[in-house]
Amino acid sequence: MLLELALIAIVFLGIVILGSSRLRTIIHLFALQSFILSATPLLIYPGVHALVMMTAVLILKVLVMPVFLFWAIRHVSIRREAKPLIGYGKTLVFGGLLVGAAFFLSSKLEVPFREVSNLLVPASFSVIMIGFLLLVSRLKAITQVIGYLVMENGIFLFALLLLDRTPLLVEMGIFLDIFVAVLVMGIVINHINEEYDDTNTLHLTTLRD
Amino acid sequence: MGMQILSHIGIVMIFSPLLLGIIGKTKAFFAGRRGAPLLQPYYDIGKLFRKGNVYSTTTTWIFQAAPVVAMAAVLVSSVLIPLGGLKAPMSFWGDVVLFAYLYALARFFTILAALDTGSSFEGMGASREAAFSCLTEVVLFLNLMILALISKSFVLSQMIEGGALVGPALFLAGTSYFLVLLAENARIPVDDPATHLELTMVHEVMVLDHSGWDLAYILYGSAVKLFVLGGLLVGIFIPSDGLSPLTQTAMFLGGMVLLALVIGVVESCMARLRLNRVPQLLVGAFVLALVGLLVVLMKGV
Repeated sequence: MLLELALIAIVFLGIVILGSSRLRTIIHLFALQSFILSATPLLIYPGVHALVMMTAVLILKVLVMPVFLFWAIRHVSIRREAKPLIGYGKTLVFGGLLVGAAFFLSSKLEVPFREVSNLLVPASFSVIMIGFLLLVSRLKAITQVIGYLVMENGIFLFALLLLDRTPLLVEMGIFLDIFVAVLVMGIVINHINEEYDDTNTLHLTTLRD
Repeated sequence: MGMQILSHIGIVMIFSPLLLGIIGKTKAFFAGRRGAPLLQPYYDIGKLFRKGNVYSTTTTWIFQAAPVVAMAAVLVSSVLIPLGGLKAPMSFWGDVVLFAYLYALARFFTILAALDTGSSFEGMGASREAAFSCLTEVVLFLNLMILALISKSFVLSQMIEGGALVGPALFLAGTSYFLVLLAENARIPVDDPATHLELTMVHEVMVLDHSGWDLAYILYGSAVKLFVLGGLLVGIFIPSDGLSPLTQTAMFLGGMVLLALVIGVVESCMARLRLNRVPQLLVGAFVLALVGLLVVLMKGV
């Protein structure tokens, strides 16, 4: 029951992120989502392995990345997503449809091993979809980074199915990859900002000398 | 039966303005003021009942009937829900539809009365109210559907008692219902009940021309509406089986006070949304209810 509440809270926070426009709020919500996410391994397989995962998520996603993202928005001084590609109301409706699609897909999907909770797969698919929607519907580079991170949270949830049979080293490698990716994106954001006085990624589609 | 209904309505009428008083006190506490006394809503309503009515010559009987109809509709709706240990005096298969449409009836007459004044200002408020209620009604029905699926019953009082278990779907439905509650009662993220003469008002602008008894009915009616809709929310989350009626009633009243405190905190911490952002909030509530429905269909909790 506690695990299911946590899973639903994660999806819930994803939907709230879809509907909010202030970047500070979005980063706070992402940190909260990751915080709840960090508890899920312990709720499924209590043990040393889960504890290590929890600490890794806590340090990377609850502390380091939000702090880094806050630094980035202070540095390029933007506070809100001004004009998203799709309006907020429409994004929310799309999000609802995608969550429905995720539930439908996962009901068709047969997982070849024991499932911990039958909400785990739909919830992870929903979070992946929400992150993906965030990634494609927003123009500011920072919101896109957050979309990527939310999507990664969904992948983490899905990987929980394999928690007891993946070596720890592989998982740490994945975490390192994400960390480096976000770091690189942060640097790219700053470069876009210096080049165009704005972090709108639409500028990247126009060619010039 | 008759006595039971009267006592039910009596309890609702006695306690509902207190809820507004608690919300007022909470807001005053957050603003660092002492605030109006806890019983101020009672004084306000009493004061209005001692005054006469003023009617514009352009209005018809609809303008005079609307406050009475609205008050009567919300009072009738209170008979359909249990209040803590008190069972609902009336319940029948499908009374959820009656419950939802009693509010629609009240709203319909308020909107008609606003249009009846012929003032363009009130017409604007009426149009906003109609637009927002389109969205809240869908969300309300989705939430009731979730409850109906969980409790496998279409009787409101059984749905409330059957849902006492806190599960993931109830968490989603509860959140989205809370947003509906705020929108339906013209509370802060959607509408500010304390403002007057401003271009962004929704509910308050429709009742500007009412006075005396009529205004008292409207104020009282909105207090009762908050109490009944809040009672539905509180009733879902307090356990009902295996407890004595007295404990249930105590928990219910405690839950109502808690709800009033939460509304007060929300009102103190949030600014009112811009008018064009309100539909977005309600669409958000709709999506939450939709996800809750999916979870119920998938899991059954």
